[in-house]
Amino acid sequence: MRTVARPLVRPAQYVALACYIVFLGFPLLWLISASVKSSGELNSLTVSLLPSEWHWQNYSDALARQGLVRSAANSAVVALTSTALVILIAMPAAYVLARLKGAFRVAGVGWILVSQVFPVILIILPLFLILRTMNLTDSLVGLTLVHTTYTLPFALWMLQGYVAGIPTELEEAGSMDGASRLSVLRRIVFPLLAPGIVATAMFSFVSSWNEFFFALVLLQSPENYTLPITLTSFIGGEGKVALGPLAAGSFLAAIPSIVFFSIMQKKLTGGLMAGAVKG
Amino acid sequence: MKTRGVSIAACLTVTTLLVASCSGGGDGDDGPVTLEFQSLSDQPAAIEATEKIVGEWNDAHPDVQVEIVPTGWDGVYDKLITQFNGGAAPDIIHYEAASIVPFARDGYLADLSEHMSDERRADIPEGVLDSVTVDDQVVAYPTELQSYMVFANKKLLQDAGVDIPTGETMTWDELREIAKATTKGETYGLGWGLSSPTATFMTMAPGFGGEFFTGSGADAQITVGEGEMALPELVDQMAYEDESILPVTLTQSGSESIASFYAGQTAMTVQGSYQAANIAKDAPKDMDWVVLPPLEGPAGSGQAANPQTLSVNIDSEHVEESAAFIEFFTEAENLAALNEADALIPATTSAQELMRKNLGDENGWDTILASGQHFSSAPYLFVDAYAQWKDTVATPAYQRYLAQEIDADELADQLTSGWDEITS
Amino acid sequence: MTAPAPTTTASAPGGPVRPTRRRGGMERARRREAAALVMPSLLPILVLSVAPLVMGIALAFTDARLVRHPDYEFVGVDNFVRLAGNSFFWDSFRIGMIWAVSVTILQLVLALGLAQLLNSGLRLQSLTRVLALIPWAMPPVVVAIMWKMIYSPNAGPLNALLGALGLPDDINWLADFSTALPAVIVVGVWVGMPQTTVTLLAGLQQIPGELHEAASMDGAGAWRRFTAVTWPSLRPIVASITSLNFIWNFNSFSLVYVLTEGGPGGRTMLPMLFTYLEAFKNRNIGYAAAMGVVLVVVVVLLLAVYLRSQFRDDRAVQKG
Repeated sequence: MRTVARPLVRPAQYVALACYIVFLGFPLLWLISASVKSSGELNSLTVSLLPSEWHWQNYSDALARQGLVRSAANSAVVALTSTALVILIAMPAAYVLARLKGAFRVAGVGWILVSQVFPVILIILPLFLILRTMNLTDSLVGLTLVHTTYTLPFALWMLQGYVAGIPTELEEAGSMDGASRLSVLRRIVFPLLAPGIVATAMFSFVSSWNEFFFALVLLQSPENYTLPITLTSFIGGEGKVALGPLAAGSFLAAIPSIVFFSIMQKKLTGGLMAGAVKG
Repeated sequence: MKTRGVSIAACLTVTTLLVASCSGGGDGDDGPVTLEFQSLSDQPAAIEATEKIVGEWNDAHPDVQVEIVPTGWDGVYDKLITQFNGGAAPDIIHYEAASIVPFARDGYLADLSEHMSDERRADIPEGVLDSVTVDDQVVAYPTELQSYMVFANKKLLQDAGVDIPTGETMTWDELREIAKATTKGETYGLGWGLSSPTATFMTMAPGFGGEFFTGSGADAQITVGEGEMALPELVDQMAYEDESILPVTLTQSGSESIASFYAGQTAMTVQGSYQAANIAKDAPKDMDWVVLPPLEGPAGSGQAANPQTLSVNIDSEHVEESAAFIEFFTEAENLAALNEADALIPATTSAQELMRKNLGDENGWDTILASGQHFSSAPYLFVDAYAQWKDTVATPAYQRYLAQEIDADELADQLTSGWDEITS
Repeated sequence: MTAPAPTTTASAPGGPVRPTRRRGGMERARRREAAALVMPSLLPILVLSVAPLVMGIALAFTDARLVRHPDYEFVGVDNFVRLAGNSFFWDSFRIGMIWAVSVTILQLVLALGLAQLLNSGLRLQSLTRVLALIPWAMPPVVVAIMWKMIYSPNAGPLNALLGALGLPDDINWLADFSTALPAVIVVGVWVGMPQTTVTLLAGLQQIPGELHEAASMDGAGAWRRFTAVTWPSLRPIVASITSLNFIWNFNSFSLVYVLTEGGPGGRTMLPMLFTYLEAFKNRNIGYAAAMGVVLVVVVVLLLAVYLRSQFRDDRAVQKG
């Protein structure tokens, strides 16, 4: 677009992008490769991307593993619900955090930082007791609330950053029209925040989808297990890892995330912005 | 606002503590008792074997039903510590001696001494029973064991003109000689995955009279003398004087180092006995391999036992029923079936015999099962700060030694002074 | 719930509140409004985050242990005094800082480059954007196992590639005393890339295109446009994401622990590992809580300095 003047820039950009993609994507490629190799081949010294013999049995082994599908469904419910909750309650609060200065802001920001630094292992016991009094241990509702709570600081922190990036003149223009604050928020601020909201939503989905420690400690019944918990059942004692089935299961588990990303990334574009400013 | 937040938090804190300490009363219903059995079985065959045993029990005991709660090895320690402290631990707990003993010391496990039948007590080799006995209380039933064995590539040994040892045991000197003899060209005599060296050195120290700790609990003292240093020094000599150990394997885990064995880069490899099943499955079809006799040091062929275990939560409302179930679970047939599925060594003599009868000498099982009588209990199991010493002092020090960053004296010194600093 | 009165000397770029509007009733309404907007977030945080955290911090001043029916008492700052003499903990602090600082900086630099590329209208944009998120699609348990395979000294693709290029192919990445820390840093950067990239990409999207166009019209080159337009607009977001990345990196140990178990010879031993061992393995939860408090204090101080400098620059920009 604006780089027409320099003919070499485009190819250089493509090369750079390709390097990034190789770096970021190669482990997945290797995972897929491992998922179609037999354990004999995985334990050999030959390095090859393609298997000498396609070993699809890893996939049937992975799917035969108790509850892989059910735990994927559990993960999806928990991740989607907590993402929706996070966005819903974080947006207004982030706005306040960004726009109102002073002691409250300092306290809010300070809290966010402290809550992220303090080791989770020291929080887990009190948290477990609190959830137990509310009868929310071994429950997906409890896990959803925990995931929501522990993603909130990040969501608030990021969203307030994006709010701070929105020129206040836009809002003021809205208020001059005599619109109420809430309607200014709804009509002007939130649409402008769209890319930030999408980024935050993706983060909160992923962190819930991949979250291991809270799920491990809080869930007890196998029918409540989430995906990461079920996947670790391929890792046995004494370092025995059923590598092939684990790779197959992980690849299957990665597909929903990738689909989710493909849908969400479309919303990460400037198109929304333009519309919002006009509206 | 800020003060109110704090006071809400404080109230919550107090209420939670109160509720937590009051909860846990009996539910007093008359229906059948249900016992939660947290099982770590991970191999599909072992899961099946466990389900079968539990199914038989449930059929025979309609009023005491056992429910399996499958859990992974990964993170189970964190899960248990939260469950115990949150008062939500299952009735029957599957784990391993080294990790369950600390829970027993902190008072979380029921004393099973009175529930264990004399028959069972006599059936468990003494060293194995000792490894689950804390302050004269049996805190767990041992179920499955592994020992370190030497697996050898027959052809490479024969090519080097080595007679394959067949005795009851094999001395470390013999191992060293065979390794030297088979080292030539691209081939090394031995591959030994020692990336986490502490567990291996602790397990095999009894053969050299190494004890490491005296006393137990918080008062334990460390000694690092000849017996404790013998094995690391032997490895060092083999790796750097004889140059008969493939260097890269010293930094790999056991299962990583096995690839070099399959590829014919090493003539022998030291592995956990359970690897026999994997080698049978994964080794190249044309490879002829054999399990060498158990290693014997100057102080015998003993290895420290760290069996898998079944324990009962002391706060369970049904300690007696749980113990009865474990008693049933550890009957010879059940243990043999489970160990066969896991390729491990049963913790009772009768189950070992049954398994030997079922398997014959296929895949070296004869030799592996024979090692099951040589387990001894190791003091490290009963030492409070062991886990921390292992991770922060011993493993780094051993790694430095094996990489020749420090010498033997410095190793001994680091092991001891690190312990002193941790326990001061 | 008292929202602080909006200050007249609005500190960050133009607060929405104009001095002329500062009248009692109006302000009360605003406060109520603010309270209503914040409450839904505040509630779960208070119950599930503040409460456990306060309890956790309180433990740092006791001799609590994780035993059945514990009885513990207040010991003042004893735990902190003891911690001051724990040389293992402080040694690991240095490694923790190297790890957290290098991962955070590399993440920022690499992600900024990637976000720019993804935002510059190249072909296959939607595909490349999804590919850039791959590290997110792998659960942490699997990440460590995959990278261990990639780094494997004799059966790994990395050494195979180096060999094919005629370079040394026998580097033992995770076990060599000199390469272990850099190798785990690469994995740390890899894991955090999607997070940082998406965040920055969203920030780039927020910059009105007119600004760039205006700059181009003035004849600004790519670098000049970056420093004059992109960077200033991105600043608040960069400050946010780097602070959080730093915290997360400093706080993480499980990834590294699975990769190297702190080895070789303690070269990758992160401070959080000590807290974990002390809390769960030694069951000295009181002492471990003291470690946690120290970590919090150090990290928050560092970040306060960092954020303050960011904040001051903002002001300078605004005045200038």
